[in-house]
Amino acid sequence: MKTVDTRGLTCPAPLIKTRQGLNEAASDEAVQILIDNPTSLSNVKRFLTDNSLAFTVKEEGNLAFVTVTRGEKSELTANEKEYCTTETTGNKNRVRNTVVAITSERMGSGDDELGKKLMVSFFRTLVLLEPAPAAVVFYNSGVKLGLDDSPVLEHIRELSGKGTSIYLCSTCINHFGIRDRLPAGSFSDMYQILNVLKDADHIIRP
Amino acid sequence: MSFDLLSTVETGGCSAKIPPRQLEELLKGLPLPADPAILVDISTQDDAGVYKINENTALVITTDFFPPLVSDGYEFGLIAATNSISDVYAMGGTPLVALNIMMFPSTRIPMEVYREILRGGNDKAREAGVSIIGGHTIDDYPPKFGLAVIGTVHPDRIITNAGVREGDELILTKPLGTGIILAGHRMEMSTPEQMDSAVRTMQQLNAQGAALMQKYGVRGATDITGFGLAGHALKMARASGVTIRINMSMVPLLPGVYSLADLGCIPGAAFRNLDYTEGETHFAEGLDYNLRMIAHDAQTSGGLLMAVTPQVSMELLKELHASGHPEAAIIGKADGAETAALVLE
Repeated sequence: MKTVDTRGLTCPAPLIKTRQGLNEAASDEAVQILIDNPTSLSNVKRFLTDNSLAFTVKEEGNLAFVTVTRGEKSELTANEKEYCTTETTGNKNRVRNTVVAITSERMGSGDDELGKKLMVSFFRTLVLLEPAPAAVVFYNSGVKLGLDDSPVLEHIRELSGKGTSIYLCSTCINHFGIRDRLPAGSFSDMYQILNVLKDADHIIRP
Repeated sequence: MSFDLLSTVETGGCSAKIPPRQLEELLKGLPLPADPAILVDISTQDDAGVYKINENTALVITTDFFPPLVSDGYEFGLIAATNSISDVYAMGGTPLVALNIMMFPSTRIPMEVYREILRGGNDKAREAGVSIIGGHTIDDYPPKFGLAVIGTVHPDRIITNAGVREGDELILTKPLGTGIILAGHRMEMSTPEQMDSAVRTMQQLNAQGAALMQKYGVRGATDITGFGLAGHALKMARASGVTIRINMSMVPLLPGVYSLADLGCIPGAAFRNLDYTEGETHFAEGLDYNLRMIAHDAQTSGGLLMAVTPQVSMELLKELHASGHPEAAIIGKADGAETAALVLE
């Protein structure tokens, strides 16, 4: 069992150490967290509950021992087991997690005009995909397709309406000097983009 | 400046507010004044009180103060003043005059820091066209600073929490995440660049947003502060009798916020705010956990959340982008009242 000692630390340090400990521990390894301030205890409990991680709490005076049970012997439902064997980050509730990475304004290389037409056609077809992709990530010159004058704007809106997250690389938008245009999604940094790609089961890169 | 104001506090800025649920309990049962000249009072949980002077003028009156959230006194003064004045903008008003409210120890901290805080507050007030005409200091530790601000608004053009109409789109003018970045800064997890962008955001007046709201006839808005985006949106939804839907993937975030939240850098205030909202909030299945917590992150001197008719929302947004709010975005809409007053998707 892995032990995370947060005694003497104040909010949000105990939560950060808990999360770190869960990420470092083996997937079936129990993690015990020592917490000595009530606010952090309540927040860590809340965090574990919201992420469907089973745990027990034993209190001795001011000190609480929170044990996150993740082994085979714990009484988790099948669904919860699935949560516990994956990492504690990202969207875990989607059955299939397909992410589309748009890295250029054009689809394929060769003829630029053709590439643009193909990209429009790609989006027209993408909206028909079932289930809809979890996310579409726009980076490098692909980011130009994620703005209000995009030839595929209506398709992006449609995907958005189906619950697909739209991420635009903030650095890329700054690089092209197109901050003044309206984004069709949220600005994202590399960490967020990397996490979306990391959590994907499939990545489609047209 | 050698003295580090952050060494005096554990939670600064609007994170230091009393938990919203507890505050509602405390205020319950206090009689509301019955003067007909009072146009807005605490009953709609608005940002400021509004008092009618005559047919053309009403006073907007507000106060706000908090402990330090940055190390430097001058910067603390700038942010505290921006935050205090913001409540007048959120009501659609024009700020006019203010008083300093200061709690500062007569020993333990160099008096030079006191002057720096006041200088910051004064500079920001001047930028907003506000004259500081007095103030009050109490000997206290840790220090706290803010302003009591008076502004004016036309009685027919007051913007309140209760002014949201079904079908309105919701625009947020500043990126979210100051609470998380500040906590990350204390934990030495935020980069200097991330901290800089948070500090810049907190020093930005909501004056442009307020002017554009009047230009486009907006009637429902609030500024996002200690109760987080979700807490303030819920207050608006309740006061207006609508259900507000927010698409979290459309919400602009300060750089680094998502990654810090993902590492568990979620301040306690976010959990308090979640306690407050969850009874009346529906969290869509599959809503990312980090985004849910970011929606509850206590903001200091946050942006305006305005309810705009879809006919003019794009125009207003373009003007915001052109006037120093490049990250403003349409993040949701108001529907007819459903079971949950707030839906986060």
